[in-house]
Amino acid sequence: MISIKNVSKWYGDFQVLTDCTTEVSKGEVVVVCGPSGSGKSTLIKCVNGLEPFQSGDIIVDGISVGSPKTDLPKLRSRVGMVFQHFELFPHLSITDNLALAQIKVLGRKEDEAKKKGLALLDRVGLSAHAAKFPGQLSGGQQQRVAIARALAMDPIAMLFDEPTSALDPEMINEVLDVMVQLAHEGMTMMCVTHEMGFARKVANRVIFMDKGAIVEDANKDEFFGSPRSERAQAFLSKILQH
Amino acid sequence: MHYNWDWGVFFHSTGIGSEIYLDWFVKGLGWTIALSLAGWVIALLLGTVLGVMRTLPGKVLPRIAAVYVEIFRNIPLLVQLFVWYFIVPDLLPEGLQTWFKQDLNPATSAFISVVLCLGLFTAARVCEQVRTGIQALPKGQTNAAYALGLRIPQIYKEVLLPQAFRIIIPPLTSEFLNIFKNSSVASLIGLMELLAQTKQTAEFTANLFEAFTLATIIYFVLNMGLMLFMRWVEKRVRVPGLIALGGK
Repeated sequence: MISIKNVSKWYGDFQVLTDCTTEVSKGEVVVVCGPSGSGKSTLIKCVNGLEPFQSGDIIVDGISVGSPKTDLPKLRSRVGMVFQHFELFPHLSITDNLALAQIKVLGRKEDEAKKKGLALLDRVGLSAHAAKFPGQLSGGQQQRVAIARALAMDPIAMLFDEPTSALDPEMINEVLDVMVQLAHEGMTMMCVTHEMGFARKVANRVIFMDKGAIVEDANKDEFFGSPRSERAQAFLSKILQH
Repeated sequence: MHYNWDWGVFFHSTGIGSEIYLDWFVKGLGWTIALSLAGWVIALLLGTVLGVMRTLPGKVLPRIAAVYVEIFRNIPLLVQLFVWYFIVPDLLPEGLQTWFKQDLNPATSAFISVVLCLGLFTAARVCEQVRTGIQALPKGQTNAAYALGLRIPQIYKEVLLPQAFRIIIPPLTSEFLNIFKNSSVASLIGLMELLAQTKQTAEFTANLFEAFTLATIIYFVLNMGLMLFMRWVEKRVRVPGLIALGGK
């Protein structure tokens, strides 16, 4: 479904991604972790072309992200993305946030789009808030709306870029619950996250990055049981200490 | 100072038909409003386009808009008006030139010059405000819009501009008031707007103080009204639950 091949990226002289290669198959849940500045967010943003890369290629559902001929907006409309800071559109009601891209990008009728949005809002447990504006919701609620907004486009895969990092601790679980449910339904997911509990519960594979390179790419049990690289061992021992 | 104020002067006949001096002020106010509103339409449309251009990816369009801003912002308004009124018509092709200079009513050709001048001058200022408004938004908003598959024109129309305009209503209000005040330059090319009518009344009646007092009051009330109107607009478009957008 998503195949990342030898991707490298530079900001000027500074190399942020070094020869990254990995694969996410259909229905697979892959967690990307690593210390801050290791390039995880940059890598996931390359997958839907939000960040350009200078060498290598990424193929999403048979389409090359790096090719200048690719209709990126069209490709993006098929891949859902959830951001650290939610990025709901603050001037639009929750209903309109959910309907906007369905109408403008997929050409759905307004009532159809709203109906679909409401159904997804119900699924994330927020149907009572349809008429509110993002600023009137808590962070956890906003993030659940953001997930619903991405799902409304019927994506073939979902990308999560640190979806719980900006949340108060008590709101993290409500977002993770939605993500776990999605994983169980068979959604293809690539998640940049530090939530190792989530990774343990639903991930098929864990990718560990450091200094722009993929250091470890292993199935979950192997990663948590006996990480091969020292860097990953050190990272795990630090974050799993408590 | 001994001065015999005579407020009744505005109701004296001007000697032209049944016209009184107050009618001149009303007519002048009409021209002032027409000039300013027409100029504002140009300023807002062109300023928005230029402001968007300044924030687009790539180099050419942002640079064109930047050059525009520097030209129109750095030349005095009055100089620009003289260019539009005295010089530009001479550069027009022959047919247009005759039409502008001879066929058109002199008031109309002066009106066109002033509206263009005010509109293009103010557009440079509106451009900078629109640009700031867009740049004040978190980069994540653009990314989120891209990630949903929206295309650049849709991103501006649906996501960036509606938020940017809410942020810039207060400085935009200043520009809106400025264009009404700046429209008084029209008096220097003989267009009988409020200031020109005031000067004319002062000359005809010798009641200089009354004439300019009335003009002052009219400008003040007009601008206060516009300001209150813009405040009302600001309140109306305020987004629930959001303090950063739409003012206090």
